Amino acid sequence: MLDRRTLFGATAAVSSFVAGAVSSPFTAKKAKASIPSDVDVQPRSTVGRLERIPTLALESREDFLTAFRTFVNTDLTRAAKARADRIMDDAGIGAKSPVSREKALELLENDYLVGTRFRAWTSSQRLMWENLYDEFHGNAEKYLAEMEATDNSGPGTLELNPGMDMPNYVKWEIHQQPGGYVGDPFAGHIYHYGTNDFYMGLNDQDQIHQHMARQTPLPTHGDGVQRILDMGCSVGQLSVAMKERFPEAEVWGIDIGAPMVRYAHMRAVDLGVDVNFAQRLAEDTKFPDNHFDIVISYILHHEVTNEASKQIIAEAHRVLKPGGVFYPVDFYTAARTKPKTGWEQVRWWWTHRWNHEVWYYDYVDVDFPAEMKKAGFDVNEEGPNSGRYEGGNLAGIKRA
Amino acid sequence: MADASKERPTYTTDFFTNDTDRAVFLGNPVIDNLMTAVIALGAEVWSNRRRQAVLEALLEEKGVTEEMIEAYMPSEDRAKKWGEERDAFVKRTFSVLAREADLPLSADWQKDIKS
Repeated sequence: MLDRRTLFGATAAVSSFVAGAVSSPFTAKKAKASIPSDVDVQPRSTVGRLERIPTLALESREDFLTAFRTFVNTDLTRAAKARADRIMDDAGIGAKSPVSREKALELLENDYLVGTRFRAWTSSQRLMWENLYDEFHGNAEKYLAEMEATDNSGPGTLELNPGMDMPNYVKWEIHQQPGGYVGDPFAGHIYHYGTNDFYMGLNDQDQIHQHMARQTPLPTHGDGVQRILDMGCSVGQLSVAMKERFPEAEVWGIDIGAPMVRYAHMRAVDLGVDVNFAQRLAEDTKFPDNHFDIVISYILHHEVTNEASKQIIAEAHRVLKPGGVFYPVDFYTAARTKPKTGWEQVRWWWTHRWNHEVWYYDYVDVDFPAEMKKAGFDVNEEGPNSGRYEGGNLAGIKRA
Repeated sequence: MADASKERPTYTTDFFTNDTDRAVFLGNPVIDNLMTAVIALGAEVWSNRRRQAVLEALLEEKGVTEEMIEAYMPSEDRAKKWGEERDAFVKRTFSVLAREADLPLSADWQKDIKS
């Protein structure tokens, strides 16, 4: 990982590997250490805080696929949409008029340009994952050894809970990612570099997460920011950004994917940032009542069931202190939209069905402002814009 | 795809494998597969061009000329290694042609997603 090794070997921090153990300490034990040099995989140095992809060939393939995705998202999508709109006009429905998903699919699914757009996106996504998968699985020993040696290093702690009960909804291969978040030992590695492609190179230095951290509102209770929880933290980019904004705070990142929090922990250790990561569910965090000053999440809710989303909102309320901030950044938490036109219907269906955004339709049925108010938040419906999604994002303050 | 280590703990669990590989968006799986192959080929071409740009930049600094490159003859060992790399390249690029696929864009889930 990053070339920031200390002169000394790893010092054990806290970690819990006991099956079913979820009662780990709530205060992080700090340790001065980094990734042991004999297992540190660092083949091609770093650019800023990003470790370069391990080989030039892989980096170049991913570079191509990033550019190809940009082409698909712009020129090819515009062309496919224009054609879909003409087809809807010719059918007497109208490009801008509401139409059912079934009718839209009937009219558009056999069109060559619409099909080309979805095929190009699907295939480039598949290739992007496959390239990364092959690198990490082809060199599994050294990457596993690196994680294993870092599991017990600090700063920050790692809690894994093998054997914990896991709802089925977390076991899907969202975005076609091989093994999803729970089934592949390198889910964190693959997700990190894969999403760098998705962000088209604009988040290589965690810029998006840092912006969100800066946008996060402050609690109103007057006690400052002592503890922060990042729900569904994936590879910990927002958790780290929050620690960097609030260096005195105790920061926790939780995610159901053990491989995700292992990678998140390893990366934070490498960056020398003191964050605690734990394999836990956002709807059942195991933290005490009134414990945190800020609870945040980034693109978590659209990847969980409607029911889980509501439970997560309630859980955030439970663990926050009165006056604490809840800032769940996701697609349009403030401005709810649903597909209406023929093109939108087909595009949403493809996203849901074939890019495996399995819970996307559930997500848009959650009334975020209402659920947050019901849970006990005062809601700012014109909350700070995360800088990522148009329509703004809600922010809630737990009522005293 | 290669397998992860069998010796070390991986902390993974079971998961639902997606069936996107069975999707047919262009009316004929051959056409779908060919497009995937073409995109993969694009990645390989760009990878080579990028590597070549690196090499040419370094070579120029070291005084290696274009004539020297054209006249180069690989050793037997090197030729064998290049042959193996070529075979891996063919597999990586074209293995998708063997993909079986049968589900149209409108096909619903093959299993109950509420499970």
